[in-house]
Amino acid sequence: MRSRQGLIRLLSVLALMAGLALMTAAYAVSANRPQSPVAHTKSVGTFRAVIDTIDYLDTSQAYTAQSLWALWTVYETLVTYRHVAGAAGYQVVPGLASLPKISRGGKVYTLTLRKGLKYSNGKPIRAADFKCTMKRDFLTASPGVGFYDTIVGAKKFETSLKGDIGGIKTKGRTIRITLTSPRGDFLTILAEPFAALVPCGTANQDLSANPPPASGPYKIGPNPDKNRGFSLVRNKYFKPTKYIPRGTPNRVDVTIVGDADAAVQRVISGQADYTNAAIPPERIGTVSNRGQLRLRKSANTYYFWMNTRVYPFNKLKVRQAVNMAIDRSALVKAVWGGLGVTTENILPPTYPSYRKLTLYKRNVAKARQLINQAGAKGADVTVWGRQVSDSQQSTTLYASYLSAIGLKTTLKFLPRSTYYTTIGNSDTKAQTGWARWLEDYPHPLDWFDVLLNGRNIVHENNNNFAYYSNAKTNRLIDGLKKPPALTPAVNKRWANVEKLIMQQAPWAPWSNRTFPEFFSKNMGCISIQRLYGIDFMKVCRK
Amino acid sequence: MAEPATDFTLDTAQVLAEEEHGASIVGRSPWYLAWRRLRRNYIAFIALFVFVVIAVACSLAPIYAHHIAHTAPNATHTEDIVNGKQVLSAPVIGTDAQGNVVVEKAGGVLGPTWWHAHGRFVLGADGLGRDVAVRLLYGGLNSLKIGIGSALICVMVAVLLALLAGFYGGWVDWIITRSFDLIWAFPVLLLAIALGSALSINGFHHFGISISPHSLWIPTLVISYVYVPYVGRPLRGQILSLREKEFIEAAIGQGASPLRIMFSDLLPNVASTALVFFTLIIANNILTEAGLSFLGAGVQPPNPSWGTVIQEGQERIISAPWLTLAPGIAIVLTVLSLNIFGDGLRDALDPRAKVRVEH
Repeated sequence: MRSRQGLIRLLSVLALMAGLALMTAAYAVSANRPQSPVAHTKSVGTFRAVIDTIDYLDTSQAYTAQSLWALWTVYETLVTYRHVAGAAGYQVVPGLASLPKISRGGKVYTLTLRKGLKYSNGKPIRAADFKCTMKRDFLTASPGVGFYDTIVGAKKFETSLKGDIGGIKTKGRTIRITLTSPRGDFLTILAEPFAALVPCGTANQDLSANPPPASGPYKIGPNPDKNRGFSLVRNKYFKPTKYIPRGTPNRVDVTIVGDADAAVQRVISGQADYTNAAIPPERIGTVSNRGQLRLRKSANTYYFWMNTRVYPFNKLKVRQAVNMAIDRSALVKAVWGGLGVTTENILPPTYPSYRKLTLYKRNVAKARQLINQAGAKGADVTVWGRQVSDSQQSTTLYASYLSAIGLKTTLKFLPRSTYYTTIGNSDTKAQTGWARWLEDYPHPLDWFDVLLNGRNIVHENNNNFAYYSNAKTNRLIDGLKKPPALTPAVNKRWANVEKLIMQQAPWAPWSNRTFPEFFSKNMGCISIQRLYGIDFMKVCRK
Repeated sequence: MAEPATDFTLDTAQVLAEEEHGASIVGRSPWYLAWRRLRRNYIAFIALFVFVVIAVACSLAPIYAHHIAHTAPNATHTEDIVNGKQVLSAPVIGTDAQGNVVVEKAGGVLGPTWWHAHGRFVLGADGLGRDVAVRLLYGGLNSLKIGIGSALICVMVAVLLALLAGFYGGWVDWIITRSFDLIWAFPVLLLAIALGSALSINGFHHFGISISPHSLWIPTLVISYVYVPYVGRPLRGQILSLREKEFIEAAIGQGASPLRIMFSDLLPNVASTALVFFTLIIANNILTEAGLSFLGAGVQPPNPSWGTVIQEGQERIISAPWLTLAPGIAIVLTVLSLNIFGDGLRDALDPRAKVRVEH
């Protein structure tokens, strides 16, 4: 009897201890769980966004800030960027795969896919899909193919559109990419949405109306219409990771409204939670207290290029004079109502390689003197601009500055669809004009190699509108293609390249623009990802 | 019974009138009669007065700009201060603790100063700090040059083609009318936009003629070209009808040359219609020019025209409505005055005529 009571007592003590242990474990687990941003807020439910336009809902074609913003959460890349605000948003982190092992002096990238990955249709994500995705980019003439032509066999495939891309080998969950030469920005290029995986067998055409299955936290809902709107719904096969959260909204409804006033009104009246509408600067005052207005600093540079091969801009003194003549503050004020910062730099201030340049203090008298010294007084100059409001305004002001220093200007505005192809054709011999560059990926090569490396000047679709080619800076840029990481030393070298180029003044950079983003008053947890903009996966309601 | 002999002659009426009233009937030309009818139409005269005032004001644009506003139409004054206010001011923007934008001081463009700034920025400044009044006057000058110039070219070409088609008939008429049909087949504004856009990029450099893309000749010629059938067709119809009249047969019988018949006999008979068309089509052309310039296919920036001034001001239509209102009112007044005067002229020249510019 005693022994039986003892046994019961012993079992009770054990049960109590087990209970305590379970409670402790449960507490420990809950304490270690990362705090959700929505801990003290209402459920988001559906996040309703109004955007001005979207080009495509297919990663092979999408190439605007709006489409990349939406598709970033739908199609995952092998490596990706962190869902955080500030400089950390530029950090490349594991996506569908681990961070690559880089070997053979930066020429071979080996990545391994995570286990158990599935598309939104339930089919497994395979390593072979990466090769199919790359081939599809070339077969659909994706605007992003130029980023991948350093992969061995890619250029041949681009020409023939047949056969294989020998530089991509897959086995099991492993992807091995071989490059023709080391490329320091290749990791960021792998994070570009053009490289987001789609299954083998996906049609080689724009699938915006019937998008391929998703690999990210969301998938595109039924019947998307890029002219009217679309919705993003949860992808039930997606498993969140340390770097890619599940996303707070259950659904995201995106409506396309071209008129900025109508878009803003939707947010004010509670029909929408957010809009990226370009609010006219003078209306910011009236709008700001009817919702939440945030300013997004994206990596962009607005500049005037000067064709270094064409008179009078083939003279250094003329280019320097132009840099001294333009009133950057007035431009920012007139064109964007002050929503931007003035700059003399090529790189935007968001880059770690950025070192503020102050080479050309405004001095119209000195500029006139330089023009006279160069013998360019009264030279005929055609100033090219694009038929969009900000370009027309800034180009008109730019022409007035050129006139003020003794150049005889004529304005020429082209439709937005033909502008870049016209000035990018060497036969046009365009003298000077307006341009802007928005980063494709956060690496100085996206600026210097594409826009100012003389070795990349081509007859058609040229991006180096200044036709700037300098043996020294070309060599320095080529040398900086190799280091795979932007260490402080590498950043310093890039800053030196920038200074050398700006001393030659092929550009007159004038501003880095900031963009207004408008939210309804009941939205909280607003986070701006540096590369992709508003991160709706983290929003919450107040 | 024999028919009684009459004493009536062609002069009988005059003789009788002299006997009865002791006064003679003076022969009046159709132009005099038209002038008498027009004189009684006060509304038409008021409209003409309004148009003349606008035209004179626009013609004085250089004087106004130089001596009163002390600026040029394309000169920017972003940093100038007028009456203690900056011509162009950016809002002062800060952020609160949550990162929300707080506008500490509103910005914008200088509004109308009327006459409080000694003639500077009477109608305010545009987004680039340019004097709106100066641009409005210069814009009006350009709009009127294009409107009147294109109407003149259009009516002259239309009259010439109508004379040729109506007088010769046959294959000449067939070619000319089919050409009219071809132009007519396109919606007038679309055709003008297409031509204007194409020519405003590189200009016209063919057949030994070189016109720069910035020349006012581009919109002038484009507008006159697209309206030729609208004037030419009705005139051709009139000439076809006149061609069968006895006085033309008499002229042919007398051995008059085709040129003489066309310009001495036929032309004077369609001159009144052409004149009415001319006044009405000026108004039409000014509207078309404004539309083309608004769309970037007419007058090329930075040159002003009423259309470009509206286009430049449209983004600030809520915060700075004068930028669009001023050229808009100018266009309305000009077109309305020309149309009213044109209608009056039509009634005076031929009260039975139904001349309309329809498209």
